[in-house]
Amino acid sequence: MISLRGLSRTFVTPAGRFDAIRGVDLDVHDGEFVAIVGRSGSGKTTLMNLIAGLDRPTAGSVTVAGRGLHELGHDQLASWRGRNVGIVFQFFQLLPTLSVAENVMLAMDLAGGVPARERPARTASLLERVGIAEQAEKLPAMLSGGQQQRVAIARALANDPPLLLADEPTGNLDSATSADIFALFGSLARQGRTVVVVTHEREATTGVSRTVALADGALA
Amino acid sequence: MSVPVRWRKAIRDLRQRPGRSLLTVLALAAGVFEVALVLHAYGLLQPELRDMYGRTSPASATLDVESTGATLPYDRLVDSLRALPGIALAEARPVIVARVRSGPDEWLPALLNVVRDFDGQRIDRFSRDRGTWSPAPGEVVLERTALRVAGAKIGDTLTYRLEDGREVRLRVAGTAHAPGMPPAWMEHMVPGFVAWDSNARGEGSGETGQLRLVTTHPLDEGDIRDRADTARALLARNGLRVSRVNVPPPGQHPHAAQMAAFRFLLLAFGILSLVLSAVLAAAMVHAFMAEERRQVGVMKAIGGTSRQVAGIYLAEVALLAGAALVVGLPPGLWLGRAYAEFSAGILNTDVSHSPFPWWALGVVLVVGLGLPLLVSLTPVWRAAGIPVREALAEEAPPLSRLQAIDAWLRRFTWLPRPLALALRTALARRARLALAISLLGAGGASFMAALNVAEAWNRAVDADFARRRYDLALSLAEPVAIAKLEQLWPQVPGVARVEYWPLANAWMLDPAGVATTGVALAGVEPASPLLAPRLIAGRWLAPGDDRAVVVNQAVALRGRGYSPGDSLRVRLRGQPVAFAVVGVARELAPMPAAYAPRAAVLAATGRSPDSTRTARIVLARHDDQAQREAARALERACEGAGLQVGSLQRMLDARQGILDHLVIIYSVLTLASLIVVFVGGLGLTSTLTLSVLQRTREIGVMSALGATPRTLATHVWIEGLVLGALSWVAALLLTLPVSWALEQACGRIFLKAPLDFHLSPRALVLWLAFVLVLATFSSFHPARRAARLRVNEALGAL
Repeated sequence: MISLRGLSRTFVTPAGRFDAIRGVDLDVHDGEFVAIVGRSGSGKTTLMNLIAGLDRPTAGSVTVAGRGLHELGHDQLASWRGRNVGIVFQFFQLLPTLSVAENVMLAMDLAGGVPARERPARTASLLERVGIAEQAEKLPAMLSGGQQQRVAIARALANDPPLLLADEPTGNLDSATSADIFALFGSLARQGRTVVVVTHEREATTGVSRTVALADGALA
Repeated sequence: MSVPVRWRKAIRDLRQRPGRSLLTVLALAAGVFEVALVLHAYGLLQPELRDMYGRTSPASATLDVESTGATLPYDRLVDSLRALPGIALAEARPVIVARVRSGPDEWLPALLNVVRDFDGQRIDRFSRDRGTWSPAPGEVVLERTALRVAGAKIGDTLTYRLEDGREVRLRVAGTAHAPGMPPAWMEHMVPGFVAWDSNARGEGSGETGQLRLVTTHPLDEGDIRDRADTARALLARNGLRVSRVNVPPPGQHPHAAQMAAFRFLLLAFGILSLVLSAVLAAAMVHAFMAEERRQVGVMKAIGGTSRQVAGIYLAEVALLAGAALVVGLPPGLWLGRAYAEFSAGILNTDVSHSPFPWWALGVVLVVGLGLPLLVSLTPVWRAAGIPVREALAEEAPPLSRLQAIDAWLRRFTWLPRPLALALRTALARRARLALAISLLGAGGASFMAALNVAEAWNRAVDADFARRRYDLALSLAEPVAIAKLEQLWPQVPGVARVEYWPLANAWMLDPAGVATTGVALAGVEPASPLLAPRLIAGRWLAPGDDRAVVVNQAVALRGRGYSPGDSLRVRLRGQPVAFAVVGVARELAPMPAAYAPRAAVLAATGRSPDSTRTARIVLARHDDQAQREAARALERACEGAGLQVGSLQRMLDARQGILDHLVIIYSVLTLASLIVVFVGGLGLTSTLTLSVLQRTREIGVMSALGATPRTLATHVWIEGLVLGALSWVAALLLTLPVSWALEQACGRIFLKAPLDFHLSPRALVLWLAFVLVLATFSSFHPARRAARLRVNEALGAL
């Protein structure tokens, strides 16, 4: 599913060059549930951004679902992401003026893969699946952190992508809720979806099939 | 079919952030309002000002016939003139130059037009306004603007003093509207219309037999002059002498230059309004998009393309612009009509029958909807194209910029911490700073330009009158011995000096010897301290000059132009006389005038040096009260001595007369200033509020670190003051070329010479004070919002 070769990402700052990722080679297979772990500043989020096509590498290549991301332009990348990658952010990043259901449907609307008439039913089904169906018409601000993260997961699954990426998905949640979220990821992986979770909480990675450690931008 | 979610987001964003939406709508509505106001006023006035004069069927030429009034066979003459080739219309309209009593020993100039048939006018038409039409022999119908000048109302009786001193009492039967005449209050005279059998007519009334013609080619000045010559020859064959042929500039209202200056200013400020509106819209959209940055990142992360994201925000802008049209258009159109009616009143016309200017509405709609979208394209497209990683990252100015600002600020160790922080914040966000400064700078420049132009006019008037160093100008009906006149001065309080200038109406001659333009020739002593014209070429008259003349710019621009060294040939008493042009003077009133030595004018006119019809009187005091008292005493003295006063003008009144001609100019400048103040204030409020909205998280962090609400509010207030002060500098730089261009153009249109460049210190101080007060008021709401933000709300903002 994912193939990273010689991947590097260097940032130029007023303080000088900073190598966030250094020569990473990594393969993630279909249906794997992988946790990328490392301390704060180890390059986890940068790596996830590169896999999701949210950032471009300084060197090396990223191939996801058989597609070299360097081949895609800015907007092509966005369309590709809409169909192939679901992203879950640490701070949920739900749009505050849309209801829970609308946040999920927005992803379908933008990607255009799901016919319009099927979207409400699919949204209801996804919300049911993550356990917050009864919150569908509420605004995100009315939900707890855990509930918002479940909405974010439902949104990530909106277009039925083969790859799910999550950046510190439990960073703002209590341990019980974190365990629930990881259990949810586990069940999604068991259904054949590839799941990559970036986290600094090594102990929270219950149920993952593989753990990849990152330190100072390189695989440990 | 349900609305796609992305469009629902566009609507929901606006509904769920009512404060932000309202501010944006109000700011955009302010732009719509001002453009609608100016364009609607322009659209209503422009056709009226263009056509109203033509609708009166103005005379192409007027022939003054020396006569004794009613004895002329007018009807036969009119029939003969009408039969001439090239003459479309002819009408007799004798005029009586008189004076009307406005108070004890106070008289105003009056003009009585004698009308053959009130219902069958052909030339210089006027219409019934109020009261009785077709006045009786003992009645007068006043031009509607004359009532106020005469201090009369319909039904009152006015006392007219005719040329021979006879007084006639005429009852004001009603009023007429004569759009071809300048407003009476502007000319400081009382025009009226009397019937053919009026009591004012008859021997000694000083009536001028006037025959008016409209030619078949009324816009061809050469043809008009040919036809007028033919008419004059016909009258001569009938034993009549034509004393004057007046051919006004074809198709031009007497106040055409004033109207042109007015229209120019209205249009110029309309364009400035458009620019201001565009900058305002750009500032709003820029701030709006900065606030949406993270949401853009999220939508792109979940599959939205730049085009889709841009579409959402352009839809939001379109909705806001639509709402702004709904809010700003009706009051803009309404006030535009009100202003057009007010301006039309000043110009003695009305716009009640003017068709609605659909083109103006079209432009406002296009501008109202199109301009926000147009100026949004760049910021929206740029925001929509931002890489996701950057969009989701904490927005902060580049570190290098912050470091540079900090290094600069460290030089000012005496700066209080809140001020230093406010400066840092304002300077760090360059785009926002540039837009806020552009907005207020454009507003300030317009405001200052309006005041600069107004003061430049005032200074031009003041400078012109400062060069005419006398207080009263007396004109008598008949020449009188100077020795007799000298006996009057002890009866007039405060007389310090008197000079007797012979005045003559001459005709400028072209190389073929044909009279072209009338010119007022004044004879002055070269060493006289009463006149010190501003020379733009050559020199002033010198002792020993004989046939030398100084012409004003209105003469200098005629024909092939005159400059020092040229010969000015004029016709005086039917004889050609040549004067050597030694200088060109610049005067405010662009009527052709020339100044020659007194002795030379007396010699050319054959008048005695011991008699005069005019006197220029200098008083010890020059205030209004002194001039009024002296004028009243002079009227009594003349009456006691049996002298008929033709006119007695107080120079302060003359100055006011010039200023009254500028009322319409001042009105448009005032309007522009008020609009700018309104739009600028709203713009600054919106900019500051959005600045606080954008920095919600930053404010939350500062609050969490212990900043008190007072500190936060002070921070916002000082940022507003910093923006205001910086915008003042921008406004100052911008107003220099704008004011210069407007002053040049206005002067050239109205005075045939540019106004002197003037930068009003009052305008600079006023705008600085205004912008700082504005910044304080504009900061009030955002500062209060910043102070009231709860830390958890602030930190959780997306």
